[in-house]
Amino acid sequence: MSKHKEGHSKSYEKLKSKTTLKEILDVAVSFEKTARDFYTAMIPKVSKNIRYIVEELAEEEQQHYDLFLSLKNDPYVQTQLDERIKTPTENHKFSDYVQLLDLGDNPDDQTILQYALAREDAAMKQYQDLADNAPEGELQDTFRFLAIEEAEHKLELEKKYYEIIHSGGPGN
Amino acid sequence: MKKINYNDKGSILNPLKNLQFYARKPVTEPLGPRDASASYRGFHINDLNKCIGCSSCQKICDNAAITMVEVPSIKEDAAKGLRNLRPAIDYGRCCWCALCVDICPTSAIEMTREYVHTCDGDETDSYFIFPKETGIHGDSFEKGWTKTEDSDLLDRIRRPMGEMLSEARIDNFDEIVDGFTLEMAVQEASRCVDCGLCEDACPAHMHAPNYIRSIYEGNLEQAVEWMYETNPFSHVCGRVCTHICETACSLGHGEGESDPIAIRWLKRFAMDNVSKTKIKQIARKGKARKKSGKSIAVVGAGPAGLTAAFDLVKKGHKVTVYESLPKAGGMTRYGIPNYRLPEDRLDQDIEVIQSVGVDIKYNVKVGTDISMAQLYKDNHAVVMAIGLQMGRSTRIKGSDHKMVVKAVDLLRMIPKGDKVNVPKSAVVIGGGNVAMDIARSMARLQQQKYGEVNITLTALEQLGKTFLADDEEVKESLEEGISILDARGPKQCVIKNNKLVGLETVKVISIFDAQGRFAPKYDEEDLQFHQADMVIEAIGQMSDVSILGEELTEELEWNRGRIQIDENGHTSVEWLWSAGDMVKGPDVINAVADGHRVAKDIDRFLNK
Amino acid sequence: MRPENYQAVKLGDSNEYEIFIGPNHPGIEGNYAFRLMLDGDIVVSGKADAGYLHRGFEKLMEGRLWIQNLAIVPRICVPDPAPMEVAYSMAVEEIMGIEAPIRAQWIRTMQLELSRVAAHLFTFGGHAATTGMYTPMFWGVADRDLVLDLFEDFTGGRVYSIYNIPGGVRRELPPEFLQKLSNLLDYLESRQNDYDNLLFTNQVFVERAKGCGALTQSQALELSVTGPNLRACGLAYDVRRDDPYLVYDELEFDIPRQKHGDAYSRILVRRDELFQSIRILRQIIERLPSIKGKIRTPIPNPLSWNVRKGEAYARVESSKGELAYYVVSDGGDKPYRVHVRGPSSMHAVQTLEFLAKGARLEDVAQIMFSLDACPPEVDR
Repeated sequence: MSKHKEGHSKSYEKLKSKTTLKEILDVAVSFEKTARDFYTAMIPKVSKNIRYIVEELAEEEQQHYDLFLSLKNDPYVQTQLDERIKTPTENHKFSDYVQLLDLGDNPDDQTILQYALAREDAAMKQYQDLADNAPEGELQDTFRFLAIEEAEHKLELEKKYYEIIHSGGPGN
Repeated sequence: MKKINYNDKGSILNPLKNLQFYARKPVTEPLGPRDASASYRGFHINDLNKCIGCSSCQKICDNAAITMVEVPSIKEDAAKGLRNLRPAIDYGRCCWCALCVDICPTSAIEMTREYVHTCDGDETDSYFIFPKETGIHGDSFEKGWTKTEDSDLLDRIRRPMGEMLSEARIDNFDEIVDGFTLEMAVQEASRCVDCGLCEDACPAHMHAPNYIRSIYEGNLEQAVEWMYETNPFSHVCGRVCTHICETACSLGHGEGESDPIAIRWLKRFAMDNVSKTKIKQIARKGKARKKSGKSIAVVGAGPAGLTAAFDLVKKGHKVTVYESLPKAGGMTRYGIPNYRLPEDRLDQDIEVIQSVGVDIKYNVKVGTDISMAQLYKDNHAVVMAIGLQMGRSTRIKGSDHKMVVKAVDLLRMIPKGDKVNVPKSAVVIGGGNVAMDIARSMARLQQQKYGEVNITLTALEQLGKTFLADDEEVKESLEEGISILDARGPKQCVIKNNKLVGLETVKVISIFDAQGRFAPKYDEEDLQFHQADMVIEAIGQMSDVSILGEELTEELEWNRGRIQIDENGHTSVEWLWSAGDMVKGPDVINAVADGHRVAKDIDRFLNK
Repeated sequence: MRPENYQAVKLGDSNEYEIFIGPNHPGIEGNYAFRLMLDGDIVVSGKADAGYLHRGFEKLMEGRLWIQNLAIVPRICVPDPAPMEVAYSMAVEEIMGIEAPIRAQWIRTMQLELSRVAAHLFTFGGHAATTGMYTPMFWGVADRDLVLDLFEDFTGGRVYSIYNIPGGVRRELPPEFLQKLSNLLDYLESRQNDYDNLLFTNQVFVERAKGCGALTQSQALELSVTGPNLRACGLAYDVRRDDPYLVYDELEFDIPRQKHGDAYSRILVRRDELFQSIRILRQIIERLPSIKGKIRTPIPNPLSWNVRKGEAYARVESSKGELAYYVVSDGGDKPYRVHVRGPSSMHAVQTLEFLAKGARLEDVAQIMFSLDACPPEVDR
């Protein structure tokens, strides 16, 4: 958790100080890379029966990383960003009720998922705040887009959480 | 009426009376075919969607005119009782008696007013027809003989099962249902049309048509023999099975009021009325005379483990079952309350299994008292069937307080005889059958201790739409004074001065998204507080796979948190099989079916 | 004549020669064979040779469920199938100890009487045809067709109605049915004169029929003759009056009889019976609307229906005579034994042989038809 704690406040400053689109995407890319590396490092540390969760998380972060990287290098980036902002994803409050925890030495599946949800939520809120405070234009559009991406990611994770945690037992 | 004199000679002018016929209209009949009457028994039509392929028409036809043919384009669904067989009729044999129409459970086959069919010598095959919605020649004639309430040959109403009134049952754990008398059981069994849809639907393919017939004939011992061919947990299933057979029953598919046969209660009746000695004799039948010299360890004395053990012992192998709790049964003892399944009935099922030669070692926890590696050393094969004994927690704020407990832990305490801390008021989180079990058990304990019931149950799902628990459970729990608040999600457990005071919930607006996946939407403004001294979580369960040990866990292949198995329950490790709730579930009869599959596969493997 | 049964025997010089009538012969009702030893054209002796219509019903019924037998039972007597169904149902009901509801009993009575009307109309034609007069056959069958239309209306089948079931009847009467029945009865009564003029007072026919195949009452009783044949000998014995079943004890009707016991008496008895049936039907039309209730006592699911152990003998008055069913159950889902006492078994075999002796060759066919001996009932 320590890596990201540092990332929270410092990265906010980092982002706010950027102005060009490409620079913002740089930061996003590095965030996804950090997460991917974090999950990847965890893979051999967790028990094999729940290893698939961290593997899938690492895979998803890799996909995000690839997406943001390709965005950064795409000449028609502006058009893409506009489209995204017009159709925002809804923000369910599910993860609000899940506590932010310290992962510890041998986390179980519920702990890992709760952490991942909290992380997505925090990232989403972060980009949201930036978008609200940014002036209209390329900057704001970028932040909106990133917020929507994180919200979608969070939604998928919520579904996975339910499938794993609220199951097992007669009739399920 | 004019009388005729025998000796009358008549008049010579009599023939002249015939002249009158010149003035009269001729008596004649039209030559061509005319419309038949409203209840004429003409050619057949069949509504292929209503027809479920039960073959009752084939059975009642006295000329063997009906053959059931397979229609590949019709979708089969054994659990709903839908077969892709449809009747084809040989008009060379049919006598148009309409018995098939009157016995059809779904009123699918009917007769029209069409009655003309001709053909040349080459076309005699045209007399063998496949009735569809349109007639034999593709025309739509009006319907002729159709089933009416008078002509219906089936007995559609189930014999009622008596239940204890809620006032009488609320302060004890006595079994709620009365059970059938012999007369009621024979009457109920006589309703069966022997279609076999129940057998196809049952996960263990129990021979229900056969034992229903045996009960009808009054031969209960033969009924139990049929049951033991596929299910050594017949006392248990006769009370708590999810009765997929009854959902598939052809009698349940009828138009209007038509109840499926009460197969579960019939099973209960037969098992209760055959002596234990006789059942042990029946269970022993077919046991191998020679010992094979192979030994198998089974971890977990639940339905899956014990069924596998039962089968393997009968094949001549030595089986040792390791159970961590003081008694066998798994969730059937430590999860299902006595008012649904009395313990002495479960004890009998287990005693019969033990009498066949299964050795159960109680209070032995694999992973602690004995390792998996040791089990493998001492045996040729190992079966893991430990079920889903651990409860999940929501881990919402405040849920780490000591008065926030898991349902499965509490349920386990009651049969163990441990002293349960009975709260004056409690809130249960969850809407499945386990939540119902704990709510109703706590209600009884509350009634016994305080003289009144104060239990609230909150669930994400909506009653009548997405609710998970059985309708019977909901009805009975409401009768017992439990209040059910549906569509509410838990927010936090409220703690004041280190004491748990209650649960806060928010309203659930919708649960599933457009694709049907879980994606709840909450209304934050609709916040409710439920006073409670105890919060009980019944949201899900998981298996304690840590007993496998790190090395074995690494060696095995896993599939989304559960041990990966093939269709026979064989894991990726050669000597290890797994069965029951921990890998498949979701109920007792599926566990029994799993146990059979695993036993068969192990036997094949050991005999290679 | 089966070849293996024929032994060529050299008889002494005589005027006698043997021929046989049937099994396919216009002078035989159905499929039936009759061997005659003739001297000139007088019959010296006759031997009935039954079996050409043997379909094995009594054995077939042992292999079928109780309910499946309903579909084959009417086929035992072709012209008059309703009494077969009713007698079988009554026998099974007696073993089971249940009774059909009162409305069903009235409907059954109506069915039986209608069937009697249809059968007699058929017989007039048959009997007349043996004397060479064919018009009554066409009239009879045409009028019978109108009766069959009514059968089609309320039972769903014209000849084999398969309408009865142990416990009652299968279907309620359609609306307006009793009105149609009443109209038909009016029509039949209006035809009375025509039939009388054509057949019953027609001296050509009367001269042929009088004296042909005469039986005395004691001979008839010794030969186990029943039905119109017995009533034509002077004894007014009718199962409906002497051993009432269904609702006959509530109905008013006469038992017609004649004295002379010959073919003409027999057809006169049938004529009178037809009009008595019409009288009964009129009473039923009047009473039936006020009799409400179910038409069927429930029986168990027919696929798992075990009739308890027991036996019963149920008899009815069919158009041919006393028809009875002897049903034995051993507690299973199929009959253990069913025996049908077809009245024609006595008429077509011993009575026919008795009456043929001394008769003229051309009268043999008339004797058989006047006895209304129906070979499907004989052979079963």
